Amino acid sequence: MEFFKNAKFDFLGRQWLFIGASVALMTAGLISLVAKHGPRYGIDFRGGAVMEVQWNGRPPVERIRRALSSRLADVSVLAAHDLAGSNEVLISTQASDEASRRAIEGALAGIGAEAYSIRGFESIGPQISADLRNQAFLATAGASAGMLGYLAWRYRWIYGVAAVVAVVHDTLITVGLFSLANREITLNVVAALLTLIGYSMNDTIVVFDRIRENRRLSPREPLFNLVNRSINQTLSRTVLTSGLTLLTALSLLLFGGAVLEGFALALTIGIGVGTYSSIFVASPILVAWERRTGGLQ
Amino acid sequence: MIPTFRQPKLVRRALLILAIVLISVYGILGRNLRLGLDLRGGVSFILSVQWQDALNAEPADVAARLKKDPAALAAFERDVVAQTRRVLERRINAYGLSETPVQSYGSRGNELLVQLPDARDPARIRQALERRTVLEWYAVGGGPYGSRAEALADHGGLLPAGTKLLATPPGKDGRSLWYLVTTPPKVRGSDLRDARASTDAVNQPVTTFTLSQEAGARFEQYTAANIGRYSAIVLDQKILSVPVIETAIRDTGQIRGARSREEAEDLALNLRSGSLPAGVQVMQERTVEPSLGADSIRQGMRAGAAGLAAVVGFLLVYYKRAGVNATLALLLNAVLLLAALSYFDAVLTLPGIAGIILTIGMAVDSNVLIFERIREELRAGKTAPAALAAGFSKAFATLLDTHVTTVVSCGFLFLFGTPAVKGFAVTLVLGLITNLFTSVFVSRTAFDWDLNRRRGEVRLSI
Repeated sequence: MEFFKNAKFDFLGRQWLFIGASVALMTAGLISLVAKHGPRYGIDFRGGAVMEVQWNGRPPVERIRRALSSRLADVSVLAAHDLAGSNEVLISTQASDEASRRAIEGALAGIGAEAYSIRGFESIGPQISADLRNQAFLATAGASAGMLGYLAWRYRWIYGVAAVVAVVHDTLITVGLFSLANREITLNVVAALLTLIGYSMNDTIVVFDRIRENRRLSPREPLFNLVNRSINQTLSRTVLTSGLTLLTALSLLLFGGAVLEGFALALTIGIGVGTYSSIFVASPILVAWERRTGGLQ
Repeated sequence: MIPTFRQPKLVRRALLILAIVLISVYGILGRNLRLGLDLRGGVSFILSVQWQDALNAEPADVAARLKKDPAALAAFERDVVAQTRRVLERRINAYGLSETPVQSYGSRGNELLVQLPDARDPARIRQALERRTVLEWYAVGGGPYGSRAEALADHGGLLPAGTKLLATPPGKDGRSLWYLVTTPPKVRGSDLRDARASTDAVNQPVTTFTLSQEAGARFEQYTAANIGRYSAIVLDQKILSVPVIETAIRDTGQIRGARSREEAEDLALNLRSGSLPAGVQVMQERTVEPSLGADSIRQGMRAGAAGLAAVVGFLLVYYKRAGVNATLALLLNAVLLLAALSYFDAVLTLPGIAGIILTIGMAVDSNVLIFERIREELRAGKTAPAALAAGFSKAFATLLDTHVTTVVSCGFLFLFGTPAVKGFAVTLVLGLITNLFTSVFVSRTAFDWDLNRRRGEVRLSI
């Protein structure tokens, strides 16, 4: 069996269509981010407490919410179900002190009715959350800079820049989509962002590697054709790999439980966007740059 | 460059793979992979040591000198944090909670990470850790007064030298009583020899403490000279009781006011393991019930198995016999990765499981990349052995770049990441190394073995 046996798609010819789509997605995400005053951080990054409660039956979310809002300010109650049929409720508050835990426990006990069990509790003070924000930023920026440096050394610096622009594009779109969907950016989501940066970089490198190889083999071929040909040659691998990793990410989303849901969702979105960006963002940048500077035509 | 296949070399390669598999299986079975708190359940805290407390407790001239000398101040802080750490460890041991030591955390130098696997009742543990438990026994110089202002007014607005005001915790009416006590205290926490929980004459839980011989002799002298006067037992700067000295007391005292037997026992434990030189503040608390951890393992396994099954199914259909090689490489990669984690004594956490699942993704990518390349070479008209050699060597160049790039980014995760993210990075790097071995070396050997067996027949099933 073989898909894309002799693929000859004109990717670069239609680049403006795809760049337009990217810009539209990024703008939508950015507008949402600006309108909502930045991303919605999870308690890891803004401080607070979250309690994980499991219910034997369907959790009475409305009643929990009512009981809690009379005792505590800024509570959010989120029900999470997965295919395995677990009924988890995540209750989070802004305050991270011992009193908020007792208040939640008291409110839950007051509801009565169905049986539940408290299975996890986490509270993070403002200083630790500020640290985590810094660490997440440093790790993301550092990883991007490190990869740029490596690519600049192995190829040429414009390859590194193009790859990093593609990666920034992926991160922006994923964070933007999270903001549009009103989902929280937690530590796990940042781990997923870092992973998808790695994947997207992988895809880009595979295409760039082929471009470099083809340039050596046929130095007289116009760059536009050569890049198109390289993308087509690696298309089969790109689609297969992304499809298969997407399967893994999807299985994580479907069976991974409430704790890993944000991670798996970010990964699922990111793999899609990352594949797209190595074809439609990184390669056009390379071609545009070489044209401007009068490189191979 | 990978050598083209020849019989003796092939056997040697196969034996090498077999040896590595055996070592791996031994590693997985022989050493138990340790599970992190998020998977086995437990309680963890990040505590910030308020070392300025200890500085304020120093005499004024010493404190002033320390504040002028940054190096001495830093040494003082390190010392206070180290003492706090030792006391916390003693308390944790006394409660029988864990044998794992308290670790330092973060870059500020005054934060400690306490991990208590399998522990229950986080509220009680939190109290046990947070409480400074500074016990003092003072001579009372005046009181009770209704408020601090009243006490000050009684002394003309100025406290006599060598005295201070202390209050009882608010009573039922919400008011505290104030007493003037003379400093320094007659007995301190470091004078204790032992502390036990017991019940008093009216069957209320109390904590009884015993003084060391030297302190007992001192205390006997003081009490014998002050019969009929008041004294104050003070815990963490709050007056617990103000007993009248009725006879000379040699070496025991009682602390009342515990609401339960358990509370009296906790206080005794804290007294035995010593007082904290400075207060600690809980910066982060995390409790995971063992059932939640077990669920996470189950869900992670299920997700991994479902993902793996889907991927393997596809590979077998799409690449036929070569798909078998890829499956072999994938499974072997999982075995090698688990073995590497065991040999490195790594602690498996939830982010670690995510790292393993991602490694599966990377492994699939490597196999697909190689196979697509081989197909291209075959399409270009090469013979099976030539296509294999060219496919593997050309794909290897690309693989090296993708793997090194990911390792570089993992390096930064390790540098800046939280412990959880670090675990993820380590798992991913180990997975990348094992993957390079399985998808290139093992898979190539499997291809060569197959070709060699069917000598003469040169069609690849890919």
